[in-house]
Amino acid sequence: MRVFLITGANGGLGRAIARAFLAEAETNQVWLGVRSQRADAEALAAEFPGRAHLVTLDVTDRSAWDATVTTIREAHGRLDVLVNNAGRHEDSLLATMPPTAWSGVLAANLDAVFHGCQAVLPTMIGQRAGRIVNVASISALLAPAGQANYAAAKAGVVALTQSLAKEVARIGITVNALCPGYIETEALAGMAPERRTAALAQVPMRRFGRAEEVAAAVRFLASAEAAYITGAVLKIDGGIL
Amino acid sequence: MNSEPLRPELLAELKALLVETLMLQTPAAEIADDQPLFGPGGLGLDSVDALQLVVALDKNYGLKLTDAEAAKGVLQSVAAMAAAVAKKSA
Ligand SMILES: NC(=O)c1ccc[n+]([C@@H]2O[C@H](COP(=O)([O-])OP(=O)(O)OC[C@H]3O[C@@H](n4cnc5c(N)ncnc54)[C@H](OP(=O)(O)O)[C@@H]3O)[C@@H](O)[C@H]2O)c1
Repeated sequence: MRVFLITGANGGLGRAIARAFLAEAETNQVWLGVRSQRADAEALAAEFPGRAHLVTLDVTDRSAWDATVTTIREAHGRLDVLVNNAGRHEDSLLATMPPTAWSGVLAANLDAVFHGCQAVLPTMIGQRAGRIVNVASISALLAPAGQANYAAAKAGVVALTQSLAKEVARIGITVNALCPGYIETEALAGMAPERRTAALAQVPMRRFGRAEEVAAAVRFLASAEAAYITGAVLKIDGGIL
Repeated sequence: MNSEPLRPELLAELKALLVETLMLQTPAAEIADDQPLFGPGGLGLDSVDALQLVVALDKNYGLKLTDAEAAKGVLQSVAAMAAAVAKKSA
């Protein structure tokens, strides 16, 4: 049995990642972290009775993290894989960025990853095994105008990933980051048509990625085959960078 | 500190735990009770080893070393670890 926790699992990417793990092996137990919205995660869980479980987890809340890890340990006695996927952006030029947009985006994308890693590490250290996959963004590497908060937060996730990877390598825990480009999820659905066209023009493959294409990489990084990969930063962007 | 003499079984158990948890090359029998774990003349452990020991002591003995100072005191030697474990279960 392997036990997984995916944050932001009601979202497009989170659901695809959860589905990949649920499809991988009948014995996989998958915990879906949700916050304000849960209907889509509930529908997914209903397809896999006894193997997919919802847990309320606001990733900015440390006590919620500790409670989640306790719940999972009580249920299965272990936790093998954490996917820090929850995240959000709130774009504006820095000159006019409301300070709450700065602190909120940093909290949801970067502080959250710190809390998540710290909450699961005692369990993973005790097991002498574990996998952490952090979903950053191509914005971490591109630093686009209008995303100073999000780009800084995701770049922070990349650095945290590489630093932590070195600390726990010897203990059998790997920590890797993904940098998706434009992926077709609810996050993109609201994009105005002319922005969509401009965005597509940036992508050498001339299409947006599918959530399944990111999920496949997460599944690989969490697999036995990826045992020697740690501190890696994998971009999945159709060739933007 | 505990004034009771330290049980030899506990000392041996902790040495075995040390070797197993940290995958040490030194055999458990060659570790002295009061040998420093860190620094010169010691076992040459580092901060990552300390982290693993903190988790192992909690997992095996329910001994929680939540702050760095407490951990520093307990992770001096096998004897210091044994004293803390004995005190906890006393
Ligand atoms: N889609 C893309 O093009 C793209 C590109 C690069 C990186 N990413 C990253 O990929 C990850 C997943 O994004 P997505 O595309 O699946 O977006 P999405 O559909 O908007 O999903 C994001 C999820 O994160 C959750 N979330 C936000 N703040 C949270 C918090 N404080 N606590 C718990 N959950 C929280 C949301 O839950 P609520 O419903 O409760 O808000 C939502 O379920 C994010 O980290 C995003 O930055 C996405």
